[in-house]
Amino acid sequence: MAMPEKKEFFTTRWGMILSVIGIAVGTGNIWRFSRIVAQNGGGSFLIPWVVFLLLWSVPLIIAEIAIGKSTRLGTVGAIAALAGKRFAWMGAFIGFVSTAIMFYYSVVTGWCMNYLVSSLSGTIVSTSDHVALWESFTGGTQPLLYHALAMAIGAFIVYRGVVKGIERTNRILIPMLIVILLTLAVRAVTLPGSLQGIAYLFTPTWDSLLDYRVWLAALTQNAWDTGAGWGLILTYACYARQKEDIALNAGLTAFGNNSVSLLAGITIFSAVFALAPGDGISELISGRGSTNTGLAFIFLPQLFQQMPGGPTAQVFFSTIFFLGLTFAAMTSLFSMIELAVKVFVDMGLGRTRAIVLVSTLGFLFGIPSALSLTFFENQDWVWGIGLMVSGGFISFAVIKHGADRFRKEAVNAEGVDFKLGRWYDVIITWIVPVQVIVLIVWWFSLAIMDYDAQGWWNPFHIYSVGTCLVQWGAMIALFMVFNRWMVARTFRTRKD
Amino acid sequence: MAIGTVFTMIIVAGTVWGGLATLLVIALRKERRKKAEKTDG
Repeated sequence: MAMPEKKEFFTTRWGMILSVIGIAVGTGNIWRFSRIVAQNGGGSFLIPWVVFLLLWSVPLIIAEIAIGKSTRLGTVGAIAALAGKRFAWMGAFIGFVSTAIMFYYSVVTGWCMNYLVSSLSGTIVSTSDHVALWESFTGGTQPLLYHALAMAIGAFIVYRGVVKGIERTNRILIPMLIVILLTLAVRAVTLPGSLQGIAYLFTPTWDSLLDYRVWLAALTQNAWDTGAGWGLILTYACYARQKEDIALNAGLTAFGNNSVSLLAGITIFSAVFALAPGDGISELISGRGSTNTGLAFIFLPQLFQQMPGGPTAQVFFSTIFFLGLTFAAMTSLFSMIELAVKVFVDMGLGRTRAIVLVSTLGFLFGIPSALSLTFFENQDWVWGIGLMVSGGFISFAVIKHGADRFRKEAVNAEGVDFKLGRWYDVIITWIVPVQVIVLIVWWFSLAIMDYDAQGWWNPFHIYSVGTCLVQWGAMIALFMVFNRWMVARTFRTRKD
Repeated sequence: MAIGTVFTMIIVAGTVWGGLATLLVIALRKERRKKAEKTDG
């Protein structure tokens, strides 16, 4: 029989905030943000990006912290407790989307680790063909080994527990990541010609600012890179101390995350304009390989070779860049493993067994993404859009419970520093669901009109509507069938 | 730098970094007050 779960809580506010920032700050802050800013008119993108920080990220992070702290249950139990037991399948879907992302995110973490090793050994700054280096790496079996290593490290940290594993590691890695980013930023902005990059980043154009596509790109960036609506923050909030604040901590997380993105953007734009003044910006916009990975693993390594100071400086800066990228990926991976573990623990499985199960499944289901970039891109598309559905389900659970009641009982609970007014009810009831619908319609319309006009319905195409609907539909049907069973397992030992 | 660029820089960096700094100061004050209350108690 499984031992009862030992109750653990984050020891301090800062321990919790750094851990939650560890969720939010991932590779997307570093490699996706800069590319999306470049593609959407620089400064024109940043204004809606700040608007949606307030209309998407902050309200959903508040909801997640409040749900996790008040229910002390993982995604399945939390949504069932809030919206009603017949909606447990929604919690399972939220949990599965983040777990499906974990399968391939571990592979991404492995790529970062491999490039860290290649930087340290000097390969990155000595190679003459970065495309060939990337293709020979991803075409072989090395990604599989690094995927296994990333999953093993993640499982070990989660096995150490919330305090000794997750909190302690984030308390070290997140400050180190910030120091690394600041070091890179100082180096980048002191390069001759960097000012033009900063000017490009912050220069708005009225045409772009009035373009609805720029606003949708800004909303998508907030949906993907803050971790809001993923269920990960909800999971960490289960371990928040009873007197822990909600609104202030949510604000610190969201603003902390976007601060890191902005810092990374300043660094990359400065470096691009200083080191590749001719065609650098078009490289940043178009990308090579898979667009995001092309920036991090092909284009930026080329820039490191152009850095002044000789090979020693080039090795140093490329190494700390990939070290930062590895830290960012790893701290997010911990939370994805913990989310799945928490769901199984709620259902009565012992924590150690749950960790072994999740990490084994994580390794096995990550293998296709480690060996095939096509499979990887399909999964990134399907579950990336699935995250928007997850955000919608969290909003639905709050609405079903009663936004006013949720705010009074869960958000404005006793002991919190900040109490929210009725404006929060309006945002979570109306504005968040409208954003979810607009985002899904927008991405599907892109698939139909742009990405795959001929085969948008085909479930076997990488970027099709059909592949999303079939994969989401299969999982939703499965979870609906097992809804009663999941509820019975999760609530079997609880009086509530 | 053009005036629009400087204006956007102030708005964006001011909101994001200024917002973070403000929240950090508030959180630090709250923590300090709680610690002081605990010591007095």
